[in-house]
Amino acid sequence: MNQKFKAVLLLFLVPFFAFAQSVLTGTVLESNGLPALGATVSVKGTSNGTSTDFDGKYTLNNVPPDAVIVFSFIGYTTQEIPYTGQTEINTTLEENPSELDTIVLIGYGSTTKKNITAAQTTVNEEEFNKGAIVSPGQLIAGKVAGVQVTAASGRPGDGPTIRVRPGSTLGGNQDALYVVDGVPLDQRNASLNSINPADIESFTILKDASATAIYGNRASNGVVLITTKKAKLNSDLKLGYDVQFAVNQVQNYADVLSADEFRQLITDQGRDPSVLGTANTDWQNEIYQNGSRVIHSLTAEKGYETTSIRASLGYTNEHGTLLRSGYERATLGLNVRQNFLKGDLKLTFTSQMAQEEIRNADGGAIGAAVVFDPTQSIFNNTGAFGGYFEYTNNTGPEPNAPRNPLGLLNSLDSQLDNSQARLNLNAAYNIRQVLGLKFTGNAGIDYNEFDSYSIRNFDSGAGARGNNRSFSEGFRRNQLLDGRFDYKRTLESLDTDMDLTLGGSYQDFTLQTTGRSTINNSLQENPVGIDDSALVTAFARASFDIKDLIVLSGSASRNGSSRFSEENRWANFYGISGALKLTNTNFVQNSGFLSQLKLRGGFGQTGQQDIPVSFAFLSVFTPGQPQAAVQFGDQFVTTIRPEGAIDLKWETTDQWNAGIDLGFFDDRITGSVDGFYRETSDLLLFGPLPAGGLENGSFQNAGSTLSRGIESSISVKIIQSENMNWTLSANATVQEIEITDLAGAENAPVQVGGISGGVGNNIQEWSVGSDPTTFSVFRQVYDQDGNPLDGVFVDTNGDNIINDADRVRYKKANHDVYFGFTSNFNYKNLDLSFTLRGAAGGYNYNNVASNSANYGSIFPTNTQNPIYINAPVDVLDTNFSQQRLFSDYYIQKADFLKLDNISLSYNFPGDKVDIRASVTGTNLITITDYDGVDPEVFGGIDNNLFPRNRGLIFGLGFNF
Amino acid sequence: MKIYKSIIFLFLGLLVFTACEDALTVEPRDNRVTEAELFQDPATYRGIIAKAYAGLAVGGQSGGDGNADISGIDGGFSNYLRLYWNMQELTTDEAIIAWNDGTIKDLHGHVWTDGNEFINAMFSRVNYQIAICNEFLALSTDAKLNEYNIPADIRADVANYRAEARFLRAYSYYHGMDLFGKMPFRDVGYDPTVLPEVKNRAELFDFIESELLAIEGDMVDARMNEYGRADKAALWMVLSKIYLNAEVYTGTQRNTDAITQLNKVISAGYTVPSVPYAYSFYADNNRNGAESEFIWTINFDGLNTQTFGGTTYLTHAPVGGNMDPTEFGINGGWGGIRTTPEFVELFPGEENSADTRETFFTDGQTKEIPDVAVFNDGFAIQKFKNINIDGTAGTDTVGDFVDIDFPIFRLSDAYLMYAEAVVRGGSGGDINTAENYINMIRERAYGNTSGNVTTGLIDLPFLLDERARELHWESHRRQDLVRFGQFTTSKVWAWKGNVPSGTTTASFRNILPIPSQELNQNPNLQPQNAGY
Repeated sequence: MNQKFKAVLLLFLVPFFAFAQSVLTGTVLESNGLPALGATVSVKGTSNGTSTDFDGKYTLNNVPPDAVIVFSFIGYTTQEIPYTGQTEINTTLEENPSELDTIVLIGYGSTTKKNITAAQTTVNEEEFNKGAIVSPGQLIAGKVAGVQVTAASGRPGDGPTIRVRPGSTLGGNQDALYVVDGVPLDQRNASLNSINPADIESFTILKDASATAIYGNRASNGVVLITTKKAKLNSDLKLGYDVQFAVNQVQNYADVLSADEFRQLITDQGRDPSVLGTANTDWQNEIYQNGSRVIHSLTAEKGYETTSIRASLGYTNEHGTLLRSGYERATLGLNVRQNFLKGDLKLTFTSQMAQEEIRNADGGAIGAAVVFDPTQSIFNNTGAFGGYFEYTNNTGPEPNAPRNPLGLLNSLDSQLDNSQARLNLNAAYNIRQVLGLKFTGNAGIDYNEFDSYSIRNFDSGAGARGNNRSFSEGFRRNQLLDGRFDYKRTLESLDTDMDLTLGGSYQDFTLQTTGRSTINNSLQENPVGIDDSALVTAFARASFDIKDLIVLSGSASRNGSSRFSEENRWANFYGISGALKLTNTNFVQNSGFLSQLKLRGGFGQTGQQDIPVSFAFLSVFTPGQPQAAVQFGDQFVTTIRPEGAIDLKWETTDQWNAGIDLGFFDDRITGSVDGFYRETSDLLLFGPLPAGGLENGSFQNAGSTLSRGIESSISVKIIQSENMNWTLSANATVQEIEITDLAGAENAPVQVGGISGGVGNNIQEWSVGSDPTTFSVFRQVYDQDGNPLDGVFVDTNGDNIINDADRVRYKKANHDVYFGFTSNFNYKNLDLSFTLRGAAGGYNYNNVASNSANYGSIFPTNTQNPIYINAPVDVLDTNFSQQRLFSDYYIQKADFLKLDNISLSYNFPGDKVDIRASVTGTNLITITDYDGVDPEVFGGIDNNLFPRNRGLIFGLGFNF
Repeated sequence: MKIYKSIIFLFLGLLVFTACEDALTVEPRDNRVTEAELFQDPATYRGIIAKAYAGLAVGGQSGGDGNADISGIDGGFSNYLRLYWNMQELTTDEAIIAWNDGTIKDLHGHVWTDGNEFINAMFSRVNYQIAICNEFLALSTDAKLNEYNIPADIRADVANYRAEARFLRAYSYYHGMDLFGKMPFRDVGYDPTVLPEVKNRAELFDFIESELLAIEGDMVDARMNEYGRADKAALWMVLSKIYLNAEVYTGTQRNTDAITQLNKVISAGYTVPSVPYAYSFYADNNRNGAESEFIWTINFDGLNTQTFGGTTYLTHAPVGGNMDPTEFGINGGWGGIRTTPEFVELFPGEENSADTRETFFTDGQTKEIPDVAVFNDGFAIQKFKNINIDGTAGTDTVGDFVDIDFPIFRLSDAYLMYAEAVVRGGSGGDINTAENYINMIRERAYGNTSGNVTTGLIDLPFLLDERARELHWESHRRQDLVRFGQFTTSKVWAWKGNVPSGTTTASFRNILPIPSQELNQNPNLQPQNAGY
């Protein structure tokens, strides 16, 4: 009886067991406490799964006993919780993105790193260059393959020149498109310096056309997406204060003759020594000083349940290494996020405001210091010209003599004041009615007011003749309005995640300048300059992630620019790309050493229309100024000039890209290699027009270029443990650029690359089949010891005459390869890192030597009273009797390796406050064969550039 | 309902797009104006014809050759007069330059190529001038005058302006014919998308001749037009120039026609000035008495017509070495241009000649030229001075820009041409009249009759040398030497052919090359002039 009863009871209970097995419910939250929408809850090892709803709630049926419930959500650590019969399992997921699950920005959207199909690189804050950085671009120098950053000069406030896969254009704008928090900046005046580098969270550089095609209309030179820091929701109040103090020194002087060497030269040449002075002056030493820079940064962030705020204040003050140069900047950044409608509507307000004051020093002092007679003293004893020694003739300062370098610096008061405000409101709205549909809109304005003046003292060598004041004011404004729909859906039947985007954008630009300058010694108004342009884009993109194995993506955009006439206004650009994600396949998982493998390929077409001419297609008339009038009888008539019109159209670039991403040994080693091939046609460049029209030259669509390259980067975690980490990363890019077509039936070469020495001399040449920075020179004849023979050049065409027909193409300025190398070492609280960068294969034209290192320049014959002019020591090697501007002797190898920065820091963790102390050295070592001041010359023509600085920086950071 | 929603969305979308199309229609808001706005002011015609004249004087729309008309070369370098002067003088025994600006030394050395940027700029400038004139003619047709309701008094002025535009156009075609041989040709109403056709030298001659004869009646009478504007006498001078050089241009001499035109000029009332020769090249040469012989000038002003070309160039560039800039009314010389020993020797007594047209500066200078790049090698010439006859400097207090007006044509030139045409066998004139004319010139030069000549002395070699003495540095020399057959294959002077003592050069250099840039742009100009 008892056994039967128990069996019946058991039988009764069976259905209960069965019922209890079925259903599991619960709520899944994100680490910030908000419900996780769309997280996956599944039974491990089965295909039994579901997703959470808007409130984070899920219901999972048919859960077997002893199951393990897996909670997974992109960007969060997957959790596995054993099922022991609970009816409810709630959990909060922790943010811990695996590298491949990181959300990465793409144009107008975002995706996961593993789904990227294009060539793009993201640099995060930890990877930024260390140092007292003033200009954001400096943060990524040497960090990214395919991105060439030429360091800023020593001029305070200068920014570096950034080129993404250079070579796409010849005459159009070469700058990449910068997009800050979704607002594309004005390409002509990106004004990156108004962004406090401490506010930047990451840079994402979109390199190939399939990535940039969605920005089609300005993206031929790559796109740099800059994201500023925002506070997280539900976070504690964090305060941070950082201070950096830097001491700077000019890294190198030009090598010129000292006073005694100069006296010796005068004697050796048999010249009159009474023209010399009696002093020993090192002019370069006199004009440079030890510079200093201090940077303060105060940040506060706090996150509430639906609001997060981050505010930052920055202040920079720099005294430049050239006397009288300086820079001061105050920045205010405010980023606010506000969620409404239970997180369905997210508003993000980002702003960067800056006030800059740039104190300009007279850059002419740099060249004057190289050539001023070192035997002359700085001061005169007459007090004339502000007390500075100056050369004179019977009418006043001798116009054909160099001016006293200190006199130049101390007689010029010149300043530029810049106020900038960049505000953007971004709204992201989840449209409830349609699952997976989201609308994002941006409204932004970038407004900049500038005010500059330049006043030269009358009582000075440079100002004695008058016409020495000019003033200029104006503003720039760029307004943006864009909106897009994103639709994400999983097509279960195809096991495909689909992501569709459709949107449009409107942006307009205005520049207005007015000014006054002294003409005929009275202040006259300059004509008002107004430039307007507008851009409209409609874009669409579709991405498919098929079986988590293949990703296909295509985008198209239709772009209109006000710069072109109606017939040529609109252009369509598109891009397609695909990736094969082999990381999760058995091949990779079982290989033992491979941990990541992805193949990528893509093609895209982008356009360029950013030229300095906005109304080329309109016939307009330009009135003349009163100083260019014509005398009719006793009247001066101002002239009216009819201008020619030319119908321009878009310049287009086609780019193919293939890449491979690899990871080894559980991602201890990761790397990628990309190869690209790019053709630009209908190049917008300034070229000649046939004689007989109203213009002999104009911007026109003529010519095409070809460029290709291979970029590679690798990162190795040599040591990875709890207390000690050491990562090495390196990148190298090999590139080649070639012109394939120029204007005219015979593609006649064009002379470019202006130099000092005479007027209108050019040292480079564009010609079909060559790199655009190819030099055009005479082949110098050398004797058996390797010394050049003065004025003897190879008669290449054998006609017994040396003229411009004997100039040949020789070497180029563009490097063949540029590379960067970074080491990050960390032991408990100690950090040591350094970055090396360099380039090879390019040459510079040493214009400082070619202009001055010859006896004809040392002994000028156009001054009323005899004077002597100093020269680089090179003159003793060449003994050139006059300027030999076009000798290939001055084309010198410019390969270099620089220690860009090295930094040591120590963290002192505390209860209330974390303190971090650091010391950094910037630009400490340069290894090069180049004779001039600095091998790193953008464009290859070394002509008295503002020298770069070597710096030592002490930093202290507090985090509360 | 869903269909309605889609329609509304589409409609809004279309609305947005058409609005966007409007947003992309942007017009200039600064001082650049479109045609319709411009001609609301009828005085505009005066401004545009002023541009045609300005094209000879300044390089651009702002002072100091800013906002230049010609691209690809420095603004001051692109100045018409400066370029023309370089072509006509630097290639001869009258001038040699020390600078390193591009390939400028190749001009004197007779080693220029078709890539020479000064020759390129000259070609551009000459054709640009023609384009401006064509544009004026297109904007001032009767149809346009009606369209813009131009009042009758302005129309009367416009009729004169039109004749002057055709004159200036013919004048530049004359330069093109003289320098390059063939030229691209465009007349009013041309289609800008079609490459211009090309006229060769003989065709250009016919065109210029017919143009000038056609507009002769429409030009303002001699000495009756506003100072600076061309009149009938300027037209007669251009005709007499092409007739005198006709054998070079067409192979057939036209000396009689030359004399016909010269007689009209000579009887128009101009007189050889009673003031010294030097006054003709002073800052106030428009009112110090020298203006009595000026037929047509290009006018410059230190405050209002500012350029680094023109007479500013001719005043600054020849000053260097020990020369005192205050004597020239400038703030400093540019130390470039001097002259050859062969030119010095044209004056009896060389630097100590009684002929006041000799203005050599010799202190610190050597007569011979061992080194082209050294200003002290070669005697300097002190012809152009930015001072008034009372010694004060010109109006520009900074000392950069000069007031000196440049005489394109003056009576002395007409007298010498008359004598030459007579000696060459033209009828309508006689040698005795020629002797009188020349003696008027010589009396001014010597201050008395000690330099007078007799008909027996007046032969072609004398006339060539006399033209050099009287008209040196006034942009005539190359044309004269070519006409006399002495530019290339005979006659040598220092550094001709890039050889210190000079050598003869190939005859193909009597014509300049068509710039290679132009051949590239307009294949109609093929083939290149022989020899290049």
